[in-house]
Amino acid sequence: MSGIIVSGLSIKFRVYHDRSPSLKDSFASIFKRRGKSSFSDFLAVNDVSFEIKSGDRVGIVGHNGAGKSTLLKALCRVYESDEGLIRVDGRLAPLLEIGAGFHPEFTGRENIYLNGAILGYTQNQLFDIEPEVIAFAELEEFIDTPVKYYSTGMYMRLAFSLATAMHPDILVLDEIFAGGDAAFMERATKRMYEMIDKANIMIMVSHDHNLVRSLCNRVLWLDHGKLIADGDPEQVINSYLRGA
Amino acid sequence: MTSAHHGRIAELLSSRAVLWQLVRQQLILRYRRTALGYLWTLVNPLLMMSVMAFVFSSLFKADLKEFAIFLFAGMIPWGMFNSVSTQSAGAFINNEGLIKKIYLPKIIFPLSIATALLIDSILSFVALLLIIIAIGGAVSWVLFFLPVAFLLLFMFSTGVGLITSVLTVFFRDLQYVIIIAMQGLFFLTPILYKHDALSGSVAMLVGLNPVVPFIELFRAPLYRGVVPGLSSIAIATLISLVTICLGLAYFYKQEKKIVYRL
Repeated sequence: MSGIIVSGLSIKFRVYHDRSPSLKDSFASIFKRRGKSSFSDFLAVNDVSFEIKSGDRVGIVGHNGAGKSTLLKALCRVYESDEGLIRVDGRLAPLLEIGAGFHPEFTGRENIYLNGAILGYTQNQLFDIEPEVIAFAELEEFIDTPVKYYSTGMYMRLAFSLATAMHPDILVLDEIFAGGDAAFMERATKRMYEMIDKANIMIMVSHDHNLVRSLCNRVLWLDHGKLIADGDPEQVINSYLRGA
Repeated sequence: MTSAHHGRIAELLSSRAVLWQLVRQQLILRYRRTALGYLWTLVNPLLMMSVMAFVFSSLFKADLKEFAIFLFAGMIPWGMFNSVSTQSAGAFINNEGLIKKIYLPKIIFPLSIATALLIDSILSFVALLLIIIAIGGAVSWVLFFLPVAFLLLFMFSTGVGLITSVLTVFFRDLQYVIIIAMQGLFFLTPILYKHDALSGSVAMLVGLNPVVPFIELFRAPLYRGVVPGLSSIAIATLISLVTICLGLAYFYKQEKKIVYRL
């Protein structure tokens, strides 16, 4: 059974007012403790607690900069915090930024293995899914060409096919993305919905409220890092829109 | 061993495919679309050392063949230590895009650099060994000591690399400071000269240089044809163990802060 528990989570960023501290500044500040500090702390996620159970379809809404993406990245362990606790049971697949780790000099096929390893697929799994990934991306002809010669659409198609090749227990989405031409968009959207259907838990950030209403059975509303509301999609979205 | 250690080792094992991909990327990418390809990794140090051997043997009025072997034996460990320390400085800052997008055990970044450079270093060593044999150098069973020498050197270099990789995230100037420091350290390491040719305060300074025992681990079997003395092995083992432990301790203490400071 999959599940996620987040309790008292805060994620703090240090905002530098001028620039990154140099070695010189660091030495200087040992001797000079007074004066205004050159940085301030900023809580992107502020004391957030919630629990997600098997079968939940959770949408996260809020203004730009409310901490939605930071929260998703924290669930995926990109940001690890000393304040609060996150427990994730189940294989989690982040579809936050596809194509992470693609190397422009490598061929499409080499990138399947590189990016696939980064996504946590084993070499055997990759060997098995390789033909399907190439076929879905419609790149049979160019798969042994370095991806730097790919068009944006080809690049997106390969990244998308690979990222969606396996079905995870927990699916984490930052907007529903699908690049490429109309025909590919249609197939990609279909594949996304299939993935969402098969996932045990789905968490998504989206500004498309109709999409959230149709896909989610629960909505979290974040504002300035704080969890304002957590509940029925219709109610939470309506109060968010009224407040907005 | 605590459960935290077990967790880290298990995590590293499960990420070995990524580690291998990063090593591969580092090894083959540089030479894409060049005629010699990976051979450049071997040709580059060979040419460099040949020129140095030619110039300095005539400067020191030494026998070219003998001096070449002496120099090769010192340059192999130095080259690896130098590359690992300086290249590790970019381990995290050059992978910022990846680290901010997806979770990976961060130790694989400095570790992949050290592993790739170890492979480079072993292959250059093999090439040099063939040259040493060709010019009539002594080859004997003591060469079987060299895997131990490489292992100790790898632990020492990786320990330093772990520290430079993390420190550079916090102090970006360090990547340039390290290059200069390494140039200075090169001359304070008995690579072009013998340690006992020095006297006074310089000899003392060189005596404090932690790289010196590792040079000896290679020079004894390759140049003098003997197994290094027990005291040299003991000192090198101690230094490499202390360095790798310090490196790991510092790395794991700072690990979670890295992403916030990239």
